[in-house]
Amino acid sequence: MDPRQHWVVPLSEAANCPEELIGGKAAKLGCAQAAGLVVPDGFCVTASAYEEFLAQSGLAKSVAMELGRKPLETMRWEEIWDTALRIRSEFLRTEIPKGVSADICRAVKKMHGKAVAVRSSALGEDSAGISFAGLHESVVGVMGEEAVLQAVRRVWASLWSDAALLYRRELSLDPMHSRMAVLVQEVIAEDRSGVAFGQDPRKLETDCAIIEAVPGQCALLVDGTVDPDRWIIRRSTGELVDWRPGIRDEAGADPLLEEDDLAGVLGLLGRVEELFGWPPDMEWTGRAARLTLLQARPITTNEPEKDDERSWYLSLRPGAKRLNDLARRVSEELIPELEEEGRRFAAEDLTAYNDDELADAIDIRLDALHKWHVVYREEFIPFAHGVRQLARYYNDAVRPSDPYEFVGLLKDQDMLASRRNRAFAKLARKLRTNKVLKDHLLAIVGREIQTTQTNWLQTIQPLRELAGGNELIEDLDLLIRDFMDITVGSQRLIDQPELILPTLLELTESAETTDGGAEDVGTTDTDDLESRLLQAVGDGRRDEATEVLRIGRLSWHLRDDDNLLVSRIESQLYRAASVGVERLRDNGRLSKDGDLSEAAVPVISAALRNPSQQSVELPRKEECASSFQSSSSAKARQLVGQPAAPGLATGSVRRIKSPESLAGFRSGEVLLCDAIQPMMTHIVPLAAAVVERRGGMLIHGAIIARELGIPCVNGIVDVMDLLVDGDLVTVDGHLGIVTVGKPEFDLELAAIADEKN
Amino acid sequence: MSFPDEPLLAPDADGRHIEDGHRQEDIAARIKKLVLGRPFAVLCTQGDGQPYGSLVAYAMQDDLRFASFATPTATRKYRLLTECDHIALLIDNRPEFPEEMMKVEAVTATGRATLIERGEEFERWAALLTGRHPYLSHFVRSSSCGLFRVEIVRYLHVSRFQEVRQWIPGSTG
Repeated sequence: MDPRQHWVVPLSEAANCPEELIGGKAAKLGCAQAAGLVVPDGFCVTASAYEEFLAQSGLAKSVAMELGRKPLETMRWEEIWDTALRIRSEFLRTEIPKGVSADICRAVKKMHGKAVAVRSSALGEDSAGISFAGLHESVVGVMGEEAVLQAVRRVWASLWSDAALLYRRELSLDPMHSRMAVLVQEVIAEDRSGVAFGQDPRKLETDCAIIEAVPGQCALLVDGTVDPDRWIIRRSTGELVDWRPGIRDEAGADPLLEEDDLAGVLGLLGRVEELFGWPPDMEWTGRAARLTLLQARPITTNEPEKDDERSWYLSLRPGAKRLNDLARRVSEELIPELEEEGRRFAAEDLTAYNDDELADAIDIRLDALHKWHVVYREEFIPFAHGVRQLARYYNDAVRPSDPYEFVGLLKDQDMLASRRNRAFAKLARKLRTNKVLKDHLLAIVGREIQTTQTNWLQTIQPLRELAGGNELIEDLDLLIRDFMDITVGSQRLIDQPELILPTLLELTESAETTDGGAEDVGTTDTDDLESRLLQAVGDGRRDEATEVLRIGRLSWHLRDDDNLLVSRIESQLYRAASVGVERLRDNGRLSKDGDLSEAAVPVISAALRNPSQQSVELPRKEECASSFQSSSSAKARQLVGQPAAPGLATGSVRRIKSPESLAGFRSGEVLLCDAIQPMMTHIVPLAAAVVERRGGMLIHGAIIARELGIPCVNGIVDVMDLLVDGDLVTVDGHLGIVTVGKPEFDLELAAIADEKN
Repeated sequence: MSFPDEPLLAPDADGRHIEDGHRQEDIAARIKKLVLGRPFAVLCTQGDGQPYGSLVAYAMQDDLRFASFATPTATRKYRLLTECDHIALLIDNRPEFPEEMMKVEAVTATGRATLIERGEEFERWAALLTGRHPYLSHFVRSSSCGLFRVEIVRYLHVSRFQEVRQWIPGSTG
C-alpha cells in the first residue's frame, strides 16, 4: 500500500515512515522509541489523513476564500483572529471522512480506554530555524473515540490559528502549503515534568544545559501557567552553575528535582543528542530512572528582531490564570484608579494656579496620560482576550453554525457608553413630547454658534423661560459633564456642547428612542444562549463555564469603559493645556497660533515655566498625505470587508473625522469612520449602516451594530479615502460588501450621444 | 489619542505603511497586464433585451482605448452587433487559477463596437488584430467577415472574488 494512503501509523512504526507523512515531532519520537528511549505509546494521524479531510469536505476552498479576502499583511491581528475563528468553527463542524475516522477509532480502541494527549506534528514544524512551539493546539486528557476525533479536528484547525498564521507570515511561508499530522499518545501521570536544553539557547554556550521543572504536567510549563524551577548545569563536569526557584504559591519550597533527577535528565539529554546529532530542546516527565521523553527538537536559535512585536501578539492570548489575574487587577485596581484620577483632574480649578503651578498640572496630566497609554497596551488590550476565550469556549462546547453566536452573551452590560446612550435616549424622548422646546432647539441648531462656554450659556438661557426648559438644561448639563469630558482627536467634546444638539434632535426622530433605547434589548436571547452553553458543558464543568462567562463579560464591559476613561485623562490634559495657551496669549507670548496637540503640550508647559517671557510658537499638526481618490482616477465600485453585522441597507455616506462631523450626522446615513470609538457610539442608533476601516468582529462598531440590528462591514483598507460624503452605498452586512452607486451606464450612453452629435 | 482595539500587523501602528502600499497598487497597470496578456475575450451583445455571449479572439491597443475583433457576417453576434452596438468584453485569468478563486482577476470593458469598412482604416485595425493573432490573417480579410473596432468607455476590474474598481481609459492613474 502506498504510504500516502495510510491515515494512521502506530508510533512503534513511525521510525520507518517518511517525515513528510507524520511530521517532525512524531518522526523524532518514533526514532527515539525505536532506539529504546521511553516514549508514551500511541499513534500518528498522518498528513495524508488531513489532506483527505480537506479534500473530501471542500474545506481547502473555504480556507482559501477566508485567507484570500484581503492580503494577509493588511489584516490587523484581530482580523486574523476572526479569520482563524471562522476556519476553526468550520473544522469543528465538519465530518471526518469515514475511512479516516474508522482508522482513528480503531487505533483509539487499541489504547484500552486510557486518557490521551492529542498534539500537533505539523510538517516542518520543528527545525533549527523554525519553531512552532506553543502555536499549535494540544488537547490533553482526552477519553473516548468521539472526543479524540473532535480533538484531532481542533489540532488540525490550529494550523490556521491566529498565532500560526502570524508566524508563517513573519517567516514568509505560504500558509496554503502547510500540512498537519497529529500525534495521539497516552498521558503519563507523573509528579514532575519539564523542559531541558542541551545548550543555553540564549548564549549558545555549548557546555551548559538548562533544565526547567514544574510539579505535574509539562503543559503547565509550556503554556506559562506555572513558573518553573531552573537549573543551569555544566555538562562536562556536572557542576551546578545556577539555580533559580520558580515563583509559585508555596513559598520557600524545596527544589523540585533532586540530584539523581537532574542526573537523569542530563543523561536523557545526552542520549537524545547522540541519537539525532544535535543538542536538543526536549520535554520530559518523571523522575530519575523512569524518565519519559515527550518531545525532542533542535534548539531554535533565532534572536527576536529589535522591533519584533511577536511576543506582544502572543501575550494578547493570555492563559486562564493570567486572564484571571488581569480581571482582578483591571476591575479592582486599574479602572477605579483611572476613574479617580480623571475625577480629581476635572475637579481642579486651574485658573487659580500661577504659571509654575499650571505647568506642573499640565506635566502631571501628560505623565498620567503616558502611564495610562502603557497600561492600555500592556494590560487593557491583553484583557480583551477574555471575550475571545469565551468565543472559543462557547464554540467548542455548543458548535453553533454562526461562530459569532456567543456575542449575544455580551448584551446588556452596564457600560459607560450604554449609560451615556440611555441618557441621550431619555432626553430625546422628553424633547419629542415637548414641541415648543424642540422647535427652540431646532432654531438654535440653525444658527452659527461660537464655541465658548459663555456663548453656550447665553444661547440656552432663553430655554429657561419655557415649560420644561430648566429641566432640559439640567439634564443637558449632567449629560455633558458626566459623559462628554472626552476627546475626538485633540478636541474636547465638553468644550463644544452645542455639537450634541443636532444628534439629540435627530434622536427624537429615531425609532430607537421610541422603543426605550437601543440598550434595552431583551434578555431572553442572552438567557437562552447561557442555558445552551451550560447544558453543552454539563454539570461537571458548570463552574468553569460560569467563570469563563464572567471573565468574558467583564472583559467586554471594561474594554469599553477604559477607552472613555483614558479619553477623559486626555481631555483633562487638553483642558490644562488650553488654560496655558490662553495665559500665553493674554501675555502676548504666542507669536503664532498653532494647533493644540500632544506635541504642543510640552512646549506650553515649558513656556509657562520660562520667566524670560520669550514668545513661543506651537507646532502645527501634520496634514495627512493625499488620498487614493486624488492620486488616481480609479474609482471604487464594490468594496470587500468583513461581514461584521448582518443586514442590508442603502444610504448616503457620512465620514466621521471630527466632532463637527459627529454633530452633522443625520438619521438614515451610512456611518463611515476609521473605527467606531466609544465616544461616538451615541450616533450609531441613527445610522442606516456602519462601514469602518479597522476590521474585527469584536470591535465596538461591530458589536453595537449587531445589537441594534444595523448592517456593518469593516476592515476595508483605504475606505476613508475611497468613499466621500454623499456617496450612495449599499452595505451588505451578510457578505461584507459595500457597493457604490446605482448600476448605471451614463458614461456609455454619453459616449454614444457624443458620437451621434 | 487613537485607541487601537488591537494592534495592526504592519510595522506602522497607524496603518500608513499598509495603505501606502495599497495605494500604489495601480489598477490601470493591473488592467493593462490582464487585457494585453490574454488573446481571447467573451463578447457580450444583446438583442430584443436578450443578452448573448460569445468567445472572440481580440487585440487591444496599448493605450487601452480601442480593441478590435472579427466575426463572420452570418453569425448571430454579427446580426446583434448591427442592431445594437452597445457591447461588453470580459477578459479574465480563470484558466491560471482553476482551484484558487480568490486569485482570479477579471475585467469587464464596456463600450461601442463599430463595423469597419474596407480601406485604409480597415487595414489599420486588421493589423492590430492579426499582429496579436497572425493565424487569423486570412479569416479577417475574407469577404464574409466583419471587422469591428471597439471604443472602450470604461473598465471594471474585479479581484478577490468581489472587489471592484472602475477605471476610465485616457485618465491618469
